[in-house]
Amino acid sequence: MNAESHQEEIFGKAYDLELVRRLWRFIVPYRALFGFSLMLLPLQQIFGLAQPIIMKVAIDRYIAGANLWGLGVMGTLFAVVLVGEVVTYYFQYYFTMLVAQKALADLRVAIFSHVQSLPMSAFDRNPVGRLMTRMTTDVEVLQEMFAAGVMTLVSDMIMLVWIVAIMLYLDVRLALISLALIPLMVLAINFFRIKARLTYRLIRERIARVNAYLGEAIPGMSVIQLFVREEKSYREFEGLNSSHRDANQLSNMYEASLYSMVEVAGSVSVALLLWYGGGEVLHGIIGIGTLVAFKEYIHRFFIPMRDFSTKYAVMQSAMSAAERIFHLLDTPTVIASPPRPFVARPFRGEVAFNDVWFGYREGDSVLKGVSFRIEPGEKVAVVGATGGGKTTIIKLLSRFYDIQRGSVMVSGVDVRNWDLQALRRHIGVVLQDVFLFSGDILWNLSLGDQSVSVERMEQAASYSNAERFIRRLPGEFRAQVRERGSNFSTGQRQLLALARVLVFEPEILVLDEATSSVDTETELLIQDALVKVMKDRTCLVIAHRLSTIRHADRIIVLHKGEVREIGSHAELLEKRGIYYRLYQLQYEREESRVDTTVPGLKFQG
Amino acid sequence: MGGMQRLKSYLWRYWKRYLIGVLCLAVTATLIMVVPWWIRAAVRTIEQGGPIEDVVFYAMMIIVAAVAQGLVRTFSRFLIFNAGRDIEYDLRNDLFAHLQKLPLSFYHSYRTGDLMSRVINDISSVRMLLGPGVLNLINAPLYYLFAVTLMFTMDARMTLVVILVYPMMAWAFRNFRGKIQQVSLKVQQQMSALSSHVQENLSGMHVVKAYGREQSQTHRFVELNEEYQRRNMDMAQLRGLIGPFMQGISGITVLIVIWYGGMRVISGDLMIADVVAFIAYLNILAWPTAAFGWMLSLLARGRASMERLEEIFKAEPEIASPPLAHSVPDSQGGLEFRDVWFTYDSKDNGRAVLKNISFDLPRGHKLGIVGRTGAGKSTLVQLIPRLYDVSSGEIRIGGRDIRTLSLSELRRFVGYVPQDPFLFSASLRSNLAFGNDEASDEEMQHAVRVASLDNEVGIFTQGLDTVVGERGIALSGGQKQRATLGRALVFNSPILILDDCLSSVDAQTENEILRALRDTLKEKTCIIISHRISAVREADNILVLDEGEVVEKGNHQELLRKGGIYADLFQLQQLSEELDRI
Repeated sequence: MNAESHQEEIFGKAYDLELVRRLWRFIVPYRALFGFSLMLLPLQQIFGLAQPIIMKVAIDRYIAGANLWGLGVMGTLFAVVLVGEVVTYYFQYYFTMLVAQKALADLRVAIFSHVQSLPMSAFDRNPVGRLMTRMTTDVEVLQEMFAAGVMTLVSDMIMLVWIVAIMLYLDVRLALISLALIPLMVLAINFFRIKARLTYRLIRERIARVNAYLGEAIPGMSVIQLFVREEKSYREFEGLNSSHRDANQLSNMYEASLYSMVEVAGSVSVALLLWYGGGEVLHGIIGIGTLVAFKEYIHRFFIPMRDFSTKYAVMQSAMSAAERIFHLLDTPTVIASPPRPFVARPFRGEVAFNDVWFGYREGDSVLKGVSFRIEPGEKVAVVGATGGGKTTIIKLLSRFYDIQRGSVMVSGVDVRNWDLQALRRHIGVVLQDVFLFSGDILWNLSLGDQSVSVERMEQAASYSNAERFIRRLPGEFRAQVRERGSNFSTGQRQLLALARVLVFEPEILVLDEATSSVDTETELLIQDALVKVMKDRTCLVIAHRLSTIRHADRIIVLHKGEVREIGSHAELLEKRGIYYRLYQLQYEREESRVDTTVPGLKFQG
Repeated sequence: MGGMQRLKSYLWRYWKRYLIGVLCLAVTATLIMVVPWWIRAAVRTIEQGGPIEDVVFYAMMIIVAAVAQGLVRTFSRFLIFNAGRDIEYDLRNDLFAHLQKLPLSFYHSYRTGDLMSRVINDISSVRMLLGPGVLNLINAPLYYLFAVTLMFTMDARMTLVVILVYPMMAWAFRNFRGKIQQVSLKVQQQMSALSSHVQENLSGMHVVKAYGREQSQTHRFVELNEEYQRRNMDMAQLRGLIGPFMQGISGITVLIVIWYGGMRVISGDLMIADVVAFIAYLNILAWPTAAFGWMLSLLARGRASMERLEEIFKAEPEIASPPLAHSVPDSQGGLEFRDVWFTYDSKDNGRAVLKNISFDLPRGHKLGIVGRTGAGKSTLVQLIPRLYDVSSGEIRIGGRDIRTLSLSELRRFVGYVPQDPFLFSASLRSNLAFGNDEASDEEMQHAVRVASLDNEVGIFTQGLDTVVGERGIALSGGQKQRATLGRALVFNSPILILDDCLSSVDAQTENEILRALRDTLKEKTCIIISHRISAVREADNILVLDEGEVVEKGNHQELLRKGGIYADLFQLQQLSEELDRI
């Protein structure tokens, strides 16, 4: 072993120890139960290790002494001990798994609630699948560790100590002869452990590379095909694949050698035992029974050694799963409530943006010094071309992202000084693409808030014109909503979203009007509901309908990330500036009842 | 061909190694079996009072057998496990090669994660079947056969009593397996309920946050999680029985040998040496007995995984070169569409996306296509490099139906720049040279210039060698689009299709790019799809597509005069350009 790999080894040890320490914290709440299962362990082993001694006595005293009654007693004793071993074995496993399941369930909840507190930008970066893997597959791997690895490694160690002690007690010299090969085995296993750690790491890295390659090649397959790259990309894949195989075959060699070596050592130990012990029996120093018992102990001694490599592999993959999990848990929750949040009492629904600068990526500002103020109860429409930063304003108001400069104030308090949940409770958001959860209608209206009464939800649905279609559904308010609301039309989903706002009664309504067209009847229902929902609320609407704009007290024209014009519809038209052109481009046709869906128009912001 | 049949053909490739491996296993088993036999001989000698020389001889024989066994065993394990790894490697290569042949439509029906899990996890469990699975499948019967035979030769009566336990075990095990399957189904169901909740929570995170529902979401998760934990404990209760049960079985056999054997020794019928040998054989059988359940689940899992792989292997590479492929004709003939209809099978309920499209595009000419979103513009051009095949009608190049041409030649003939830019995590240089590794520095520089990438190349610290993509620096939408355009320029094909590929590029840069392209593309046949009239106005011919049909056709001036959709669009465009300049 050279110095470098030695260092890596030491580093790896400390690192794994740290992981184990962090996992241990999840076991601490169940330490009593865990302690109990640990206490069963020696009991189980005593039952198991008593068996060879019973054999010894049976052979040396009763069989050799031709005592049938004594043999019967020993047989019964053996049976009792066997039952004891089987029962303690079962409960030991059961309680270990109970602790494991409880601890891992806690771990899952810890991951889930941590993910809940991550800022929206984390979800922009991490695909849903990756986060799910942390909560499911990776935790399952840890479960495997409890079932097959760590616990048995610990119990194996204790067992080996027991066996050595009993052997020494029975016959010191015979024990030393039987265990003569142990130092050799310790060296071999240690050698294996060091080699295996390196090869397992190699394997882990290489399979990760195969994974990463596939992760791009599969979604990019049409590009590969279009550029007739199949052969080259096959060669690249084959290269990664073969290096993964080679690492595995290397580890096969270590594992096969270790396994065989342990088996050989076991047989050789038995031979040494017969050689030396045979002489002792012939000299009448010990009975044949002792020889038999020793043979049994040697057998039991080598089983855990043989299984070491399998358990070690389980441990290794558990450690990498733990590493990934803790890496996620260590992702800072950038956006969090301050330690002592401000409480705005009484809440006034006023909103102000003061010189707000913001970009999703550094050096790429979407909002450039945006300032405006909305008085309580005022209705303001935001208009502008796509990419002008309209949706961003909504996201900043609810503090989904933190701004880079300036301030966003709600009810006179900077959003960064608000308690996040309290702030968001005051703001009702309806987005273009209404997200429905699977469950029933009531669940979707209350979003699982049990303090909301069914009457209130029904009232809200009725007021927002959603009741009519709900009543026609099978099960009415208990009608099932499929994943992502796929069994509801766009219009229905919007009505439900408006009802949801009424259920929560926020003082501020933020609305991103849907652009997709719905049938005329639903359109009228939505229009009517909108008027009702907007009443007595501070409203910030990203408007796509001319009627909504007309109803607004003021219009903010956002152009290329800047507020360029503010005023009423009539004032702005008169100005003949940006709004005037936008109006011509987007809304005028609506007025003259021409199809408004202009083909693929898109402007740069 | 079923999945298992395919697997057999892979096994067949390595039959020599498996054969030698199996022979080695047989030798190993024999060498293992002689050890108790010599132990018996040694103990017998001791019982009879010597001589010690004989005992030493037997001990030495045991050592010789053990060492020989160790060598052969290492070799056999190495051979079989490595063959398993080799087949894993072959399978993975073959599956990847097969995936490369599958058409775009295939990738609409399988999620990336699903396909990845098949290539990684399913092949892994097939490998478990081929390595440890095969090994134990051969070892277990060998061990039983040898051990039982040898025990029989020692004492038939006692053997019969002992092996009576095994059918009992098999019976108990069968009942048990049904229960385990039931419970494991319940565990899986709860797991998928849990996953769905997580998936939904993550996809609807903006709603969760907007309404401050984090706590109730967590609460629901806790409920599902608790149920999952309960079901897992039901499983643990059952699975926890297996180990003790097997241990109990082994223990009972030993108990029988000691008690019953002891009685026989007392009656002078047997020797203690026989009892010792019996116990030694039972110890050898303990492992295959304990591993029995594990082996069965290994087999079941491997088989199920192989079927999942077979599903992919069975998917037809519908779009491929014909058996007798023509080369792309190097004549002056251009591109023709003749009465082309196209329908996606799965999407849109069989509604025709393209209806009766016919046009001629002579070599070196430029064709512009405009139309609203969903009009079928992208579909139309994706038919040319055969990402999809026409449902009826014909597309010809140089007078030949493209389906009669060699697919790779056709694709080298057509450069397609898609709307969604896709780059690989590699250096900008290798992304640009993706279709043409032999590109000269000059060609690269040219592409960089035309696609207006010189700015980026200047800013990036490592220039063209900067790694871009998911594991490199993140590019903006416009930068990505320009890089994909550059890639197509380096590809340097006679036909170039730009599918609204500058939509995220700002207007000014787009104009610069279009100006630079004009010179480069002089010789090339081009199709340009754009939402900006400025990009297509100079085309020789412009198609206006609506609902899958060509509704207007002509050059810029002609279409303006017509006063239809195109003229309308043009007017709007001018307004928005005006707006853009403000």
